[in-house]
Amino acid sequence: MRDLKHLIYFENLLQEANNELVQQAKAEGKFAIGYTCYFMPEVLLDLPGCFSVRLRAPRCSSPDIATYYMSARVCHYGRSLFERALEGGFNFLDAQMATETCTVTCRFQEHIKPKHLDSVKDMNVIQNDKFFCEFTDVPFKNTENDYEYFRDQLRAHVLTTLHDNLGIDVSDKALKEAIKQHNEVCKLINEIGDYRKLDNPTITGYEFHVIQLVSLVCPKYLILPYLRETAKEMKTRKPDEKWPFRCKVVLAGSENDDPDFTKLVESCGAEVVCDRYCYGAVESRQPIVVEKGEDPLYAIAKHYLKTSNCPRFMPQDEMRARKQRLADLVKEYNADGIIVCSNKFCEYWSYERVVDTVVLKRDFGIPVCSIEKEYINTASGQLRTRFQAFVESVEIKKIQEGK
Amino acid sequence: MDFKKALKDFWYGKPHTAEEGGRRLGENYLPKTGLYKHREWRGVKDTFYYFNYIWLYNYIHMVMDVMKYGGLINFAKGVWRYRWVGQTYLPVLHWFDRGMEGMRGEALRGSAWHYRAMVNATIYQFMSMFNADTRLHGGKKNDAWYHTMAMKETVWGGMFYGWRDKFKAVALEMIPYFVTCHVNSHTVHNYIDAVQSIGLPGDPCPMCQAESGLYVLDDIPDYSPFMITCNEACDGSVGTAILQDWFNDKPLFALQMPMIFDDPLANKFVQKDIEKCWKFIEDQTGVPMNFDLMCEYIERQNELMKFEWEKWEVAAKTNSYPINGVAQALYRIYQSQMGDLPIWHEVDGHVRKIMERAVRNKTNTFPNTRHRVIAWSCAPLYYSNWCTWAYNTWGLNVVINMDSLMFDMTIRTDSYENMLEDVAQYHMWAPMRRMAVGGMHHIFELWDYMERFNCDMVAMYDQLQCKGMQGVHGLFEDEFRDRNIPAFWIPHALPDSRTVSRAEMRRLINDYMTTVMHEEPLDPSLLELDDDMTW
Amino acid sequence: MKKFVKKALCLGGIGYAALFAVFFFDLDGKLLFNVVEPFLKNHYDNMERKDMLKTPYDMDKFPDYKYDEA
Repeated sequence: MRDLKHLIYFENLLQEANNELVQQAKAEGKFAIGYTCYFMPEVLLDLPGCFSVRLRAPRCSSPDIATYYMSARVCHYGRSLFERALEGGFNFLDAQMATETCTVTCRFQEHIKPKHLDSVKDMNVIQNDKFFCEFTDVPFKNTENDYEYFRDQLRAHVLTTLHDNLGIDVSDKALKEAIKQHNEVCKLINEIGDYRKLDNPTITGYEFHVIQLVSLVCPKYLILPYLRETAKEMKTRKPDEKWPFRCKVVLAGSENDDPDFTKLVESCGAEVVCDRYCYGAVESRQPIVVEKGEDPLYAIAKHYLKTSNCPRFMPQDEMRARKQRLADLVKEYNADGIIVCSNKFCEYWSYERVVDTVVLKRDFGIPVCSIEKEYINTASGQLRTRFQAFVESVEIKKIQEGK
Repeated sequence: MDFKKALKDFWYGKPHTAEEGGRRLGENYLPKTGLYKHREWRGVKDTFYYFNYIWLYNYIHMVMDVMKYGGLINFAKGVWRYRWVGQTYLPVLHWFDRGMEGMRGEALRGSAWHYRAMVNATIYQFMSMFNADTRLHGGKKNDAWYHTMAMKETVWGGMFYGWRDKFKAVALEMIPYFVTCHVNSHTVHNYIDAVQSIGLPGDPCPMCQAESGLYVLDDIPDYSPFMITCNEACDGSVGTAILQDWFNDKPLFALQMPMIFDDPLANKFVQKDIEKCWKFIEDQTGVPMNFDLMCEYIERQNELMKFEWEKWEVAAKTNSYPINGVAQALYRIYQSQMGDLPIWHEVDGHVRKIMERAVRNKTNTFPNTRHRVIAWSCAPLYYSNWCTWAYNTWGLNVVINMDSLMFDMTIRTDSYENMLEDVAQYHMWAPMRRMAVGGMHHIFELWDYMERFNCDMVAMYDQLQCKGMQGVHGLFEDEFRDRNIPAFWIPHALPDSRTVSRAEMRRLINDYMTTVMHEEPLDPSLLELDDDMTW
Repeated sequence: MKKFVKKALCLGGIGYAALFAVFFFDLDGKLLFNVVEPFLKNHYDNMERKDMLKTPYDMDKFPDYKYDEA
């Protein structure tokens, strides 16, 4: 296939958190608001006057100082973020909107938070005098009580904080404007992503991963023109005559903001046609629907609790429905199997992966490759072997089924 | 031979000193096993107290408790069916020995009563399980099965007080997993290995691994029609619930515990979730929650809390506190987590008498105390008696510990609203939540408690697989240095004695005491022990 | 009667002394460690157990609990 016009530009945007577009938005007087988890609604951080940056720490393979503070026995992602913060990589942030949705990212955010306590020192990690960090509590279920609680949390800890500290307009009108912009991003990403459903997809999993990531880490209003252009380009993009992969897979699991990981999977012959992981598009790029007469903040709270497939959700029906949804994605994207991966030390996904590995194969007949990975996969040899073996097994299955 | 000294040693026991003629407790052990060549001679009075009122008394009461709570046949069936009861609970008196090594006088008496209470509560729970267990009754769901509720061990037992007249509430893992690790650390390895054998990585919290492993090995009784689970204390607990739901395959209600529990919004939210939980139970059982009954038991529990505060006062302000570190920690966490039981009151009555006598007589209950220690973070379950060893060897008197300080409140019963508000708060101040995985403000409450309990040293537990506490490791190091507080780390893996051995823990403490504190041991025979195979 | 009491006291004394010997020499611990535990362990290790991975995982068995009216 012909290279996408902006792919190299997008790849460059992913090299640093404080990328070219972030710098441009800052220069235009916008406030940069960091966050880590899907449960912090990015749409609220994209209100007029500020923009969201989902934090990453690309190429951080040796988080030494963070390891002193957090030990080597916690998730590499959390440590890498902290290391990057300690290196000054997040000094551009004006605020961090934090959630305690998993232990280690919580700890990272607590470390960078100016705490003003006598009992523990402030590390003054973010070299920005006005920087603040605010935590929002996120429920574990998705009932009416949870929607209301989450709405109240978002109002108290996100909207009020943004308004009081940065003077951001948090009116319903501003919210609707942000939702509109958010939904356009979703529409474009979905449009681009839907080409992965073709028999011979006109976009690779790697390319899509890069595009999805730039939509998370760049100011929306600045990345939108590029996304529009890419969506337009996709309409005429021709696939290779011969499909260069051997099977299609859904990539599911925990935190993954490393397009090189997707590239690794694809280099073994498995095209990643669906990204059901943290930072993936399956959830984060569903448009937010505000019913007529509905409080937009309530609609946002409900949206984020309803769309999440995080193993953090505890209701019984929800725990079980997650497996069904994965199976549905396999069908929807014409995939041949699933790769379920959890980051080392991610407790939620360690457990979820066990059930996925058994149940998806046993009850749905879907081949599953279950792996544990690091945030930065410097040692890819073992993974490559695993993926190659998986691709072969899927091929054999297809041959046996006469496909 | 010095007959005078021999007679004195016979009458009073050998002195607790490193000098020639000291008691040298380490020489009582048989190599590797932790068994005794002979049990310690504590002097006539304390040896016979131990023999009569601890050893004999508890053996007899164990049998009586089994008979009272369901009978010997049910017990025998349970022993034959479940590894965690058969392999674990028979050597229970050895657990007493380990906890009370070297103790004398009031400290021996006060600590032993705490152990007695825990044994009773344990028997009550496993017999309740066996009475209702379909696996022990030919697959039949008997009346007890329909009248027993199952909840995750991290759900406070008081949540079910409103049904106490008709239903028993028994935690799923407290007895099969949590208590076993203290008594016989071998058992739990089977469960950890089992869950890893189905693909769980080795790094999640081993407590959660063991809880799930019980199911993988099909070693959990089927004693209730439904279960209540909870996200307390951490991500691992949420993960455990995923596996438990699968293997349990019964109606399940997930009770939430907000992560940012200081937030005023959180309490109201939890209240509603607790009400939903009660509604779930009502729907499952067909029996409404009885508010008066709830209040009655809460009041009884409040009495326990009030006595605990009295104990803390004595521990903080005098040298006459008659409970050693391990008894304090285990009793308190057990009692506050499980909720009200008659045995707690009975034992508190005995302990009150002992404590009042010790205070009245100004008895120095731990006369060889060199340092008053506060133990912080999650403790090693397979070596909860390390503090007994530390006192005997180094004079480190663990006065209080983090787990004891959870649930630090009484609950109002003057109205439904107040009761619910306080129940929600109690629920959110659960073990490993408030000061381990909760916000930094609570984690670093350590300094306040150090001052309050007049401690001069910190024993910092280092649970290697607790992501929450590992995530603040460096900050503690920095704070200890900046505040010039002597602190030693005790690495461990909660129930899994294979990760860090007891000997390794002792070596680290020994190193700290000699190289940093420049102190000499009180009992050199305890410095190095080979107890690798011990229970 | 006196003889009976004397005999009972005597037997009681012997029993008490025997129990004290069990206690003092940790014979209970030694028995449990060397005999009972290995025996039971062997029993548990060889027990037939259900393969829990065969437990069904029905997606629609447990409905969404709607207890919002609480």
